[in-house]
Amino acid sequence: MTDVALLHANEQAPLEGVIKGEVLRMYQEVAEHPEGEFHFYHGRQAAELFGYEREWLDRAPPGAVASFAGVGNPHLRSRLQPGETVLDLGSGAGLDSIIAAWQVGPTGRVIGVDLNPTMCRKAQAHAATSGVRMDCHEGRMEDIPLPDASVDVVISNGVINLSFRKRSVIRELFRILKPGGRLSVTDIVSAKQLARSIVNDPKLWAS
Amino acid sequence: MFALLEDTGFKRVRSTVVPGFTFRKESTRDAAEAYGVKAVLFTAQKPAT
Repeated sequence: MTDVALLHANEQAPLEGVIKGEVLRMYQEVAEHPEGEFHFYHGRQAAELFGYEREWLDRAPPGAVASFAGVGNPHLRSRLQPGETVLDLGSGAGLDSIIAAWQVGPTGRVIGVDLNPTMCRKAQAHAATSGVRMDCHEGRMEDIPLPDASVDVVISNGVINLSFRKRSVIRELFRILKPGGRLSVTDIVSAKQLARSIVNDPKLWAS
Repeated sequence: MFALLEDTGFKRVRSTVVPGFTFRKESTRDAAEAYGVKAVLFTAQKPAT
């Protein structure tokens, strides 16, 4: 890391902690009170907008659907095959993990990683209700708790933009993917550098 | 993100704008529009060797 980058990282460290807390709070709020109003569309309305198959949404536990807080549909290009191992990075309430588990079948495996242990427990419960298994690990996306070359496919939905260290996240995805492995990730990007007032506002990070 | 994926060594990096993505609150939507905020689906592959 260069001196300038190190200085920037140190300057951002306290803010990063505040934002991490706000992000955790916001997504837990969506999971526990999905009837609430948020900056973003969520639940079935959002999932249908992004092209999730109605059959999936009818079949998945209502709690997983209602708490959906993605920004797109990574399944459109994931091309999951039976027997594959999938990482759902930032698995939240588990809807994407459950859909992935249906596709990889009983010979496959779905692993979730989420910063929030409460969400991990919720996702695993939703998966169990759906009759599929999902292993969820509490962990940071900049330090994914999985071995090298252990995953065939990474899916993620609106999560990487929440990291201050996106380069580290992408390096981690490269590390944990097997050779020839692939990713299908939906996320938020901006064409212009955001103003400092926006970057430093924890509530907007959690939007 | 596209550049980060390529710089890290991913191949066949592709991106597609997610149609229909928007923020629910008008104030957030206006700010997002001003900064060109979009949702994008990225796909990429780790080289086989």
